[in-house]
Amino acid sequence: MKYLNIFMLALLIGFTSCDDDDAPAAENEEEVIDNVILTFTPAGSSAPVVVSAIDPDGDGAADFTTPSITLSTDETYTLTLSVNNIAEGEDITAEIREEDEEHMFFFEFTSGLFADPAGNGNVDSRDGAVNYDASENDAAGYPLGLTTVWQTAATAQSGTFRIILKHQPDIKSATSTAQDGESDIDLEFDITIN
Amino acid sequence: MRFRFLIFLILSFSSSSYSQSTNCAANCTCAITGTIVDGQTNEPIEFASLQIKGTAKGTTTNAEGYFEFTGLCETEVDLLISHIGYKPITHHHDIFHEEPIVKLAPDNLILESIVIEEESDVSAFKSNTAVKIEGRELEQIKSASLGNVLSSVAGVSTLSTGSNVTKPIIHGLHSNRILIINNGLRHESQDWGQEHAPEIDASLIDEIEVIKGAAAVKYGPNALGGVILVNPPEMELTSHLHGDVHLKGESNGRAIDGSILLQKGYGNFAWMAQGATRYQGDLEAPDYQLTNTGMREMSGAIGLRFHRKNWDMKSYFSFLHQELGILRGSITGNIEDLADAINDEVPDFTRGFSYDINSPKQVTEHAVFKTEAFYNFTNSQLGLTYGLQMNNRKEFDVRRGSNNETPSINLELTTHTLDVEWWHPIVNDWEGSIGMQWLYQDNNNIPGTNTIPFIPNYNNTRFGLFLTETRPLGNNYQFDIGIRYDIQLASFRGRDSSNDIFRNEQNFNSVSGIIGLSRTMSNGGIIRVNAATAWRPPNIAELYSFGKHQFTNEYGFYRYSLEGTTLSTDRVLDNNDLEVSNELGYKLIATYTYSNDRFQIEASPYLNMINNYIYKAPGGISGTVRGTLPLFIYKQTDAVFTGADVTIKYKHTDRLSSKVSGTFLYTKDIKNDDVLFNIPPNRLSYQLGYRTKIGEYEWSAAADVSYTFRQYNAPRVIAPEVFVENPDYNPFLDNNSNFDFTEAPDGYALLNLSSALSLRQWVFSVRVLNALNTSYRQYTNLIRYFADEQGINFEVGVQLKL
Repeated sequence: MKYLNIFMLALLIGFTSCDDDDAPAAENEEEVIDNVILTFTPAGSSAPVVVSAIDPDGDGAADFTTPSITLSTDETYTLTLSVNNIAEGEDITAEIREEDEEHMFFFEFTSGLFADPAGNGNVDSRDGAVNYDASENDAAGYPLGLTTVWQTAATAQSGTFRIILKHQPDIKSATSTAQDGESDIDLEFDITIN
Repeated sequence: MRFRFLIFLILSFSSSSYSQSTNCAANCTCAITGTIVDGQTNEPIEFASLQIKGTAKGTTTNAEGYFEFTGLCETEVDLLISHIGYKPITHHHDIFHEEPIVKLAPDNLILESIVIEEESDVSAFKSNTAVKIEGRELEQIKSASLGNVLSSVAGVSTLSTGSNVTKPIIHGLHSNRILIINNGLRHESQDWGQEHAPEIDASLIDEIEVIKGAAAVKYGPNALGGVILVNPPEMELTSHLHGDVHLKGESNGRAIDGSILLQKGYGNFAWMAQGATRYQGDLEAPDYQLTNTGMREMSGAIGLRFHRKNWDMKSYFSFLHQELGILRGSITGNIEDLADAINDEVPDFTRGFSYDINSPKQVTEHAVFKTEAFYNFTNSQLGLTYGLQMNNRKEFDVRRGSNNETPSINLELTTHTLDVEWWHPIVNDWEGSIGMQWLYQDNNNIPGTNTIPFIPNYNNTRFGLFLTETRPLGNNYQFDIGIRYDIQLASFRGRDSSNDIFRNEQNFNSVSGIIGLSRTMSNGGIIRVNAATAWRPPNIAELYSFGKHQFTNEYGFYRYSLEGTTLSTDRVLDNNDLEVSNELGYKLIATYTYSNDRFQIEASPYLNMINNYIYKAPGGISGTVRGTLPLFIYKQTDAVFTGADVTIKYKHTDRLSSKVSGTFLYTKDIKNDDVLFNIPPNRLSYQLGYRTKIGEYEWSAAADVSYTFRQYNAPRVIAPEVFVENPDYNPFLDNNSNFDFTEAPDGYALLNLSSALSLRQWVFSVRVLNALNTSYRQYTNLIRYFADEQGINFEVGVQLKL
């Protein structure tokens, strides 16, 4: 048997004169969002609070990390979101803005964290209050959510803050919810207000 | 269109013309025997006259339609066959083909007279279980996809993924465990997903044969479930220009489907040309539209045949272009979306009817060039076949921005095959052949997908040698034996998650064998038993797939490692870390067939043990910025597949007939005492057929009821909500068994009705599929997570024989 194997191998190698050893070309992994930066800019003079969620291996199995957020009480913050692909050095934010008629951010948070918006956000129900920056609305007048405004509660609070980016091609409407379409981003942060 | 009985391979145990004494030409002892029947009714024709062209030798058929010539000095002759009221035919015959069956067409029909040769040569073994569909029976079901055509064979069910992707399942095995031999070539494509349909247009097929037994020895690796042979029309050397045109419209999907065939023979040369196309929009379930399930298909084929004394050469070229939409609602972002989608009454993204095909979709192209040559020596025959296949597969996922137009998978596979087979002279009653097969494959990623390659580049070289022998034992027994050895060299080159190159090389080799016995009983029934082994090297996806594919993340054996319960994918393993063994199948199958003029039965129980069975199953979830994704990993275990197929046919009167068939299958993971994932459920069906002839009109009608049982043998269920509520949930913490995201769907009954009227060269047909508009989901179709199957479909077709 062993000799037969050797004979066969010899035959094979004889037959395979045109073996190539090319590897696939390196591809830019443009698709994968591996980093989301939240910048809370206060109306006052204090420094912005910046939090960055990172997923080191994109489509790999390793989990991403979400640091916790700490905000001051009774302050109005403007939250701007920056969506990136670090591996390729790519800023995906512009792409989302370009396709505003297909994208919408939804927010979910523990009740009582914010004086305004009240409630727990618009993930359970689309009608939940979230202060979207109206200047970002798409052509049909529906919100996008790269920029939002948050007024923290007057007393110390803690809870969770969740951001969902939905991709809703031909679905986004006045009533489309966080359950429609596909999730491009779905991150939950621990949040403390003190 | 009538319900002709399937032709089971009734094997001739009489001395066939091939088994003639060596070198009959030298001493003028060559003989030809055969049968002549009515091409419409299959009744034997008495007193048909036969003449050998250029000689005064002639004969006529007896009451059984049987004829024989003896004392011929030549191994090749032209037979002129005629009978009053029928169309004459000239058939070029050589003695190396088994008894020809000549089907004469009545004068008043445009139907052609045809000759069928080599009825029993196909699997090389008499003890194999084979079923054939051809002629009218095939024509009725032709424009369906290949998988659907095959599902009319007992023991063959279909596995669908999406509405247009259907592939055959034989005895519970499918995809790359079934070998498809298309026009004599191993069909080689990117068949590593169960959602990859064979790139073969059913409209171009003239004859299909399913070998459920063991044919691995003759055809090589992958035939663990069985072999399916599909053949184009035979090119008759002497025939005038003829062919046919089919046109069909369907209500569901508002599809139009057409095909054309032309052929002509000039004595030493013949040609054939075929073309077919299908244009289909979104399909419809009983309660809603299935958005983005359209389909486009175009195919064409050209065949040439040259014949010189002792030489026969055929060349074919065929091409297929296919675009398949995948249900838009089946693509989800994360496990929460999956939970929403599973619980949604109407799938997400559902819209009104449209012919558009957007992402997700697959676009595949398959081109085949083949040349085969046979040379007849005085008492043996040599065959050479070279095949070149080129396959391109593009898969488009739902992506952001301009990437939507960019395929996320774009692969090109080139396959060269060379087969040499020599049917040796008969020695001491041993009849058989010895052969070799060589295969070389090159698979390359086409750059520009903007995503880490899901499948690496690879090359395969395979070489196989085989020997098949059969001989009679006494009067009623036939003994088969065969052995084969294959060796395969594979090299892989891919990119890991940080875009670094990895390389690997592996060798696989295996011996396969078959031993079988068939016995002809005194009542004419035949019992066949055979035991055989088959093997399959692990395929590229099982070893190396990486990343997102439709709604899951998938990792092949070498792309993930489990440390405790933590899955990591940052390192690519190689042979030193892990040995992935060949799949080895040991199959025992017995078949009993009996038929008289009113009653037919075929029953075949089987047992198939598969060591190192490789399968993909839910393996938990992984966290990404998108949320948690369902994760599928490949596993390897030992499995048993056992069951039985039964078909019974009964003619109540000349006009009315019944057919009952059933398939039963039980499977188990015997290594872990577990159930397997995605195994086809059991099925029973009953068909009542009626046909009558009034003058030139022929009318037939049939009703077909089938009941598919719920898969009782399904894995435990962990609903996606469990993962949503607890992202750290580990499904294997205290229970290592397989799980599924939903229950197996309920059993369902389907009713199909069909009717056809033929008049001279015209055939008009009407079919209603799923006539009760039943809402149902198929267990073997992963679309069951999201949507129902197709509802009612009216088909109207017309066929014109040219």
